[in-house]
Amino acid sequence: MRNKDHKRFRLLLLAALAVSCAWGLAARAQDTPTRDVHAFDNHAGFTPTLSGAMAYIQNTNSGIVSLNPQVNPVLLVPFGSHLLLESRAEFGGFFQRRDGTTGPYGGKIYKVVDYAQLDWLVHPRVIVTAGEYLLPFGMYNERLTAVWVKNLQNAPISSTIGTRSSGTGDGFMLRGTATQNSIYSIQYNAYFSARSNINELQAARTAGGDASVFFNKPRLETGVSYQRFLQQRNINSVATYLSWQPRTIPLDLKAEGDFSYNGRGYWIEAAYKADQLPVPVFARKFQFVTREQQLFPLHGGGNAVPTVSTTQVDFGLNYYFRDNLRLVSSYARSFSSQQNANVWNFGVTYRFLWPLLPGRKS
Amino acid sequence: MNPGKPVMKRILLSLFIGSYLAVAATLALASDDPQPSQQPTPASAAPTAPKPVKTGEQVFNNNCSRCHQPPMSIPPRATGTVVMHMRTRARLSREDEQLLLHFLAP
Repeated sequence: MRNKDHKRFRLLLLAALAVSCAWGLAARAQDTPTRDVHAFDNHAGFTPTLSGAMAYIQNTNSGIVSLNPQVNPVLLVPFGSHLLLESRAEFGGFFQRRDGTTGPYGGKIYKVVDYAQLDWLVHPRVIVTAGEYLLPFGMYNERLTAVWVKNLQNAPISSTIGTRSSGTGDGFMLRGTATQNSIYSIQYNAYFSARSNINELQAARTAGGDASVFFNKPRLETGVSYQRFLQQRNINSVATYLSWQPRTIPLDLKAEGDFSYNGRGYWIEAAYKADQLPVPVFARKFQFVTREQQLFPLHGGGNAVPTVSTTQVDFGLNYYFRDNLRLVSSYARSFSSQQNANVWNFGVTYRFLWPLLPGRKS
Repeated sequence: MNPGKPVMKRILLSLFIGSYLAVAATLALASDDPQPSQQPTPASAAPTAPKPVKTGEQVFNNNCSRCHQPPMSIPPRATGTVVMHMRTRARLSREDEQLLLHFLAP
């Protein structure tokens, strides 16, 4: 059965590559007279690049301390200006005291490929992605999971909705901008993922999409995601989200509601950077964060959704030494009928960006 | 009986109403903008090229900060690659990709 799945997945992947190659070549042939992106080769390098982050996070959940050093490299390899291979991996360690709160620390080293995908910038409004990609459901999974991006290290409880079973999909995705003008732009995703049990490529059979509209002037984005889970019981999941970064104040406001057969929940997060406060310069590098979230299980929960109603309030305080180096800290209080808990996080994150070869300049 | 159901409904309803009010307000504000052709032009002003609808700086500010703190610098050798990656992640159009590239690597 597993071999059959494996073969079917390989066939699908080969077919996908063939179709996208044919489409890309056709589009490129039509596109040749106006390949204006190449004009930038004079001043911008299209060289393989290693980006990503390093972090050390110490988490204390109900008195149990976990130490989590990690490196998340993102490899970017462009082939010309229309084809990009990108992959993010995670190398880390997870250590806890042997008896929970006492004894020496022990744990394990792990490595995970978060995604590995080929992006074909095939049309001004269409990008074809093939491979293993992050499921674009809601805002969190695809956009905010990077350790150097997220304002709070704890993931929202409802982020497990719509991302079964591994948070990634194996297959194809179309994405891009459907339309845009000076007032707004509409962006979209549509994907299909095949089932895979291969160790580093685990994914569920799903199909779904996302559409969002971004208003330029107020910097406001609102969108909706849909996913149909196509294994065993077919399940629909829906997310709606809102993101707002006003021009006048350094505020980042995000909210998302998630709905599925197993439960529904929401989270609202606000992050304020003290750039404009009348305080000494060193104090303007603080960022204050708060998140409020609730999750209500349906049909007993399960599938990574908690089985009891849970409410959690998070407060975070981050300090930016530079745009790519920061100290992070947060406190959360979680309320549920099973257990009320305190969750603390302290750590440091560092984002890096290194060209791997000399740039090809004309 | 799920005790959270009415509360959840109210919260979700508020979220929906809030987001759509915000959208409506945005459209209303946008329509209040004076049109460039309605603005008086000094008689002595020389004819100039029409101002672009969007600039690379606007693309940068609108799209990078939606998810993360915008970087202060990018190595020139990697700019093209980073912008390609940004186009994929932020679902940018080719037009926005070009504006962004011009802004980051003038």
